[in-house]
Amino acid sequence: MPRLLLLLPSTTYRTTAFVEAARRIGADLTVASERPSTLEAANPAGLLTLDFHHPERAADDAHVFARRHPIDAVVGVDDDTAVVAAAVAERLHRKANPVHAAEAARDKHRQRELLAEHGVPAPRFALHLLDEDPSEIARSVVYPCVLKPLRLSASRGVIRADDPASFVAAHARLKAILQQPDAAACGEPASQFLVEDFVPGYEVALEGLLMNRRLHVLALFDKPDPLDGPFFEESIYVTPSSAPAGLQKAIVECAERATRALGLVEGPVHAELRYNERGPWLIELAARPIGGRCSAVLRFGNGVTLEELILRHALGMPIPSLEREPVAAGVMMIPIPGAGVLQEIRGVAEAKAVPMIDDVQITAHLGERLVPFPEGSRYPGFIFARGATPAAVEAALREAHRRLTFMLA
Amino acid sequence: MDQAVRITAEPVDNHRCKFVVSQPLHAAGVRRFASAAEAKGSPLAEAIFAIPAGGVTEVIVSGNIVTVVKDNPAPWQMVGKAVGVAIRAAAASGAPPVATKTAPPAGGPATVDDDALYERVARLFDEQVNPMVARHGGRVELIDVQDAVVMLRMGGGCQGCGMADVTLRQGIEGMLSQHIPEVRGIVDITDHTSGANPYFQASKK
Repeated sequence: MPRLLLLLPSTTYRTTAFVEAARRIGADLTVASERPSTLEAANPAGLLTLDFHHPERAADDAHVFARRHPIDAVVGVDDDTAVVAAAVAERLHRKANPVHAAEAARDKHRQRELLAEHGVPAPRFALHLLDEDPSEIARSVVYPCVLKPLRLSASRGVIRADDPASFVAAHARLKAILQQPDAAACGEPASQFLVEDFVPGYEVALEGLLMNRRLHVLALFDKPDPLDGPFFEESIYVTPSSAPAGLQKAIVECAERATRALGLVEGPVHAELRYNERGPWLIELAARPIGGRCSAVLRFGNGVTLEELILRHALGMPIPSLEREPVAAGVMMIPIPGAGVLQEIRGVAEAKAVPMIDDVQITAHLGERLVPFPEGSRYPGFIFARGATPAAVEAALREAHRRLTFMLA
Repeated sequence: MDQAVRITAEPVDNHRCKFVVSQPLHAAGVRRFASAAEAKGSPLAEAIFAIPAGGVTEVIVSGNIVTVVKDNPAPWQMVGKAVGVAIRAAAASGAPPVATKTAPPAGGPATVDDDALYERVARLFDEQVNPMVARHGGRVELIDVQDAVVMLRMGGGCQGCGMADVTLRQGIEGMLSQHIPEVRGIVDITDHTSGANPYFQASKK
């Protein structure tokens, strides 16, 4: 059986989906994390610790490991492990993105430089040091603008400013976020931030799989809730998109040009784009699949999961189908209900009883402190729905959410 | 139908789903049913196997948790709702949803000695697994062995841990296959949504 090295950060939501997918396709699985499993000594072929903060060091260690347990493919599941996977694959001469491409996808500044160089429509941007005088920057920018950290995920720390006063306030807030230990652990990128033009328009998310440089679109999601700020908490994703066919084609072309600009060649991509009267704009592109538990909304062919597609592609195994099932589907990242300690969740059964609702997954645990955006980024759960039309799915998600009550203290 | 019964579904994947019920269905240990024939006499399991086009291949009932395994890859939407109906009907009937396990007839065909396996698995958990997971504040409890399938429950730092599936599949399952190869499978009946102090907590979008 082929051996798969799966890079799973200890904080990921995606463990079960990827581990079960690896079991289904019959791969010999080695799971590597940045923190050791307590059972690593008991299964040295199946569990490994790698330094995800230092991809070259991780590649060295994986190379030593592979002498005893040859590895056929390496897969990362988020922005950081996508870079580590690229470094390990390069060392082992396995199919993957070049390291510089994975790094460019992770680093929002480098990404924007490459998009600009290659003429991909994207917001104008400028890089600033966190220690610069915000009042001075505020005098020079065009409003509305968006302050954005270079590395954080899930729109954490992303804040819109409409005038110099709100810019200075947003800067103070972003600075405090970047000084928190988990953010500061990014190193130098935590001492910088981007200021970019706010692009008005509708937002979509594209899920794709690069196979030998060619982008295969797996799903295009509409985001029916406006993302106009001041914070950019995600909520509903619904597919298929209701954008006109010509516009969808332009969106896909924009995303494909972005993958080429960054130098990505293989594996999953998740892109966020906006469109307005001037066409599509690339907002973000990541060399990883959709985040959180959202992938559960996607099924291909006869029920194959997104994770299984990704692993099959990495291992060079046959892929039964890249066609998503022929129904509308959607997911709601449950909005963070406020700041406080979660005491009780009411209405889960009632939410699940809404027609077309597949599942309601609560990922926050009782006693957990919920932190709203922009400081927080952890949604308390996810709602999934399938139905005949995107509009019906969206309505079901909203109704299910309406039935949930989060009691905070 | 008893509207007071609350059920939380926790799909592991398209083939396996745990249903956590707000009241116990089978307090006397664990019952595992690997076919409709085995389910005879246990109304809840019978009803779940009888779900039209459900493709159900296995039902495990332990306390307030019902684990259902099916062989069709369709999402849990339809089958899950039918399982919910079966659970509510069984809870409302007043009869025991699951019959107590009976001993195999003496002189019957040779089967796996689950009692002997239980002893060996329990020893492995006590001597090797639990001392290791205790380093992360976790524990693994052996609930039962039926037809050489091990049923366990995770607690402490393992309950709700983001890496629980890695511990289960890459750790415990590997140790069982190495030390007790007669074990045919492993079923986690933990209610991970109730984990209040998981060692690793998912924190990204």
